[in-house]
Amino acid sequence: MKKILLAISILLPGYIFANASTTLEGGFKLGPALILLSILILFVVVGIVFRAKDTNDFFAAGRKISKVGSGMAIASNWMSAASFLGMAALMYGSGYHGLAYVIGWTGGYVLLLVLMAGQIRKYGKYTAADFIGDRFYSKTLRISGAIVAILISIAYCVGQFGGIGLLFKWILGIDYAVAVMVGGAVVLSYTLISGMLGVTKNMQIQYIIIIISFLIPLFILSFKYDYFWLLPQIGYGSIVTDIVTGIPAPEMVNMVNSFGHDFAITPSPEYAMPWDPSSGQTFFQFMAITFSLMVGTAGLPHVIQRFYVVPKVRDARWSVVWGLFFICILYWSAPVYSALGTILSANPEVGKLSKDAIVVYTAQLGNINPLIVGLLAAGGVSAAFSTVSGLLVAGASAFSHDLYVKVINPSCSPKRQLAMARWATVLMAIIVTLIALMKLALIGQLVAVAFSLAGCTIFPLFLLGIWWSGSNRKGATWGLIVGGMVSLIAITYFVAGKFNLILPAHEFMNYWLGAWYFAWIGAPLAILTNIIVSKFTEETPVEIRKFLVENVHS
Amino acid sequence: MKKLTNIGASDVLFNFNIYSMDEMKNLNEKDYHISFFQPTTKLAKFNRNLSITLLTVWAVCIFGFQIFLKVIEEPTPEMAYVEYQGVWNQLKSGQASDLEKQVFIKSALSVLGKVTLKPEDRVYLNAAVSHFTFELAGESQKALLGNKIEILRSAEFGKSDYPNQKADLGSLSAKLINVEPYSLEAKLLPIELAAASSSTLNTEMVEMVMAKYLIHNQSFLTDYVFLGFPFHYFYTGVFLLILFVGICLYYCIATDKAMFRLGITEE
Repeated sequence: MKKILLAISILLPGYIFANASTTLEGGFKLGPALILLSILILFVVVGIVFRAKDTNDFFAAGRKISKVGSGMAIASNWMSAASFLGMAALMYGSGYHGLAYVIGWTGGYVLLLVLMAGQIRKYGKYTAADFIGDRFYSKTLRISGAIVAILISIAYCVGQFGGIGLLFKWILGIDYAVAVMVGGAVVLSYTLISGMLGVTKNMQIQYIIIIISFLIPLFILSFKYDYFWLLPQIGYGSIVTDIVTGIPAPEMVNMVNSFGHDFAITPSPEYAMPWDPSSGQTFFQFMAITFSLMVGTAGLPHVIQRFYVVPKVRDARWSVVWGLFFICILYWSAPVYSALGTILSANPEVGKLSKDAIVVYTAQLGNINPLIVGLLAAGGVSAAFSTVSGLLVAGASAFSHDLYVKVINPSCSPKRQLAMARWATVLMAIIVTLIALMKLALIGQLVAVAFSLAGCTIFPLFLLGIWWSGSNRKGATWGLIVGGMVSLIAITYFVAGKFNLILPAHEFMNYWLGAWYFAWIGAPLAILTNIIVSKFTEETPVEIRKFLVENVHS
Repeated sequence: MKKLTNIGASDVLFNFNIYSMDEMKNLNEKDYHISFFQPTTKLAKFNRNLSITLLTVWAVCIFGFQIFLKVIEEPTPEMAYVEYQGVWNQLKSGQASDLEKQVFIKSALSVLGKVTLKPEDRVYLNAAVSHFTFELAGESQKALLGNKIEILRSAEFGKSDYPNQKADLGSLSAKLINVEPYSLEAKLLPIELAAASSSTLNTEMVEMVMAKYLIHNQSFLTDYVFLGFPFHYFYTGVFLLILFVGICLYYCIATDKAMFRLGITEE
């Protein structure tokens, strides 16, 4: 069944023939719309076929997922609209500075593997809050952990709903608000039907769709514009150098984009040079973003939760390797879109393009078949969907499992627990949709805030909880308070700025405690506080230490 | 409902109620401690050494390289900036020759042709280019130049007469700044003249914008080309990702081997 569905998911778009307009914005595009519709139907069918039968299935896929399958799910779960659309957008907008996000979002997996993956699986808990509450023997911390996990999931989800809205708007030619609601309803429906088991199967199919849709246009564009097309991930070096040195006009006779603009360009070293003045970004910000995204990656609840679904501890470790490799395929490729997009939109007559849509625009400007552009856009939707489904499950798990069952109603039946998980999913989707409709910030901004929040709060608790038995309840509590306070201050300044409210030391705080990189100081402070308070308070109970020794580190 | 088999310590011992310290002490038959830096088993020692080694490599390769890049960098101007600086004082004093004005316009166009140029910065250079292009035009040509700019402004890209109107202004302006009609400057100038909202020269802002876009942080690492890339770009954008996968792969293989050697099996 799985193989049949996989074949359908790959081959079906090839059988759809329809006309599509070649405009960067606006009208309804039939071909891309049909591709998108067929992919969405496939997701729902897969979700139904592999639906959850009980809480064990819903939360942790019955622990039946192989390491390669789990790696694909990790990659699919990870590669959101921010990766698919946002990576190229960041480099298109600020050149080399965008690479801070590339290495931040991949380098964090090294931390995750070396410091956590195997131990998390050994600890044997379903959710991040479950681990926190159990390891630090505190209901308060369990509740706090669950709330933080929900907040992270919501912040992350809002960004994804924004991406879904952007792509639905582009494909269907409908209003952004309607696009967000339609996309949100679809992703909610199959998450509800399937639970994590169906979602995991979906994620494997989604990964294939994401990668195929992302790579095909790259090969075509590289071939078309005479770059090394056999491996565009290496071949784009010549494109970067062309941008740096410039392309003189005589070389570009009859070389035009799909709208007839020629793309001879003046020398633009700022595209590739580090922390260039023209980007408005500094060396400190590059380093702070890199570090914050790394610790955030190792603290994201929906990423950590993937390790519960593999059968063995060894599989948890190897699933990170596979997951990172699958992720890197996209991350090696995203800068190619940025470089090609820079050349194809170099003519001032093109005008300012929406950065978040530069991946799709590059394919359009390169005059690629509209159906392939449609497949690319559908791949973007898949990327957003796969992440949203994982986030909804993580958020629903935090509410139903960590708050409702463990705190509010410990004696509830499994049926009741599953119902609460589903209600929580619906509630989260409604909240996320409402926030996404407000357009409070860019996709990338909201996602980066979620990372820093995770880096300041959950990462220190997991790191010390696993590796130091001396870390106790009071240490964890004060560490969480400090991390939470840093997050609160940074987010307050960020939100105030959005509403044009000038707080004291506004510029200073926005620079040193930026909303997308405040974990550079928040995470170390939270860890330090945890250690100091733990040292001067009562020892961790022997049962916890015994469990760590015998079950986690044995 | 499948029975959940993975139960944490407090599930068994506390049932989510916190025991008193006295009760804890009664259970304390053996001293259990875990510390990353003070391992007590062979596997833990191996894991600590492996983790420290790999994370050191990881940190040095990521942050060490960027710090090194920062230390050795030098603010390096583009040729266009050097040329602009050579004529700018004369232009500011109002005593520049036509040749010096042409040099400035070409330098400004090299910034105006950049994709990264922000709209708020473009305004000042547009105005400056427009200002000096009109100065280059003789009295008899000013009206003609203004007329052609207005025609192009009212034209619409994609319409049949647009290329001709653009070429018409392009040929006139190319002569003024002494460039070949097929050159990039000749293609850019009509667009910029049509986009200019004024011809008022703001010297301070022009100086700021030119420095902002024409001076870059460069070193031998940025200048050396490797596989078509500037080396530092390849290192950060391609090599580091390969390194991350390699580190993870090595960690898993080394851990599996160590467990096999020590006769440890995991569930």
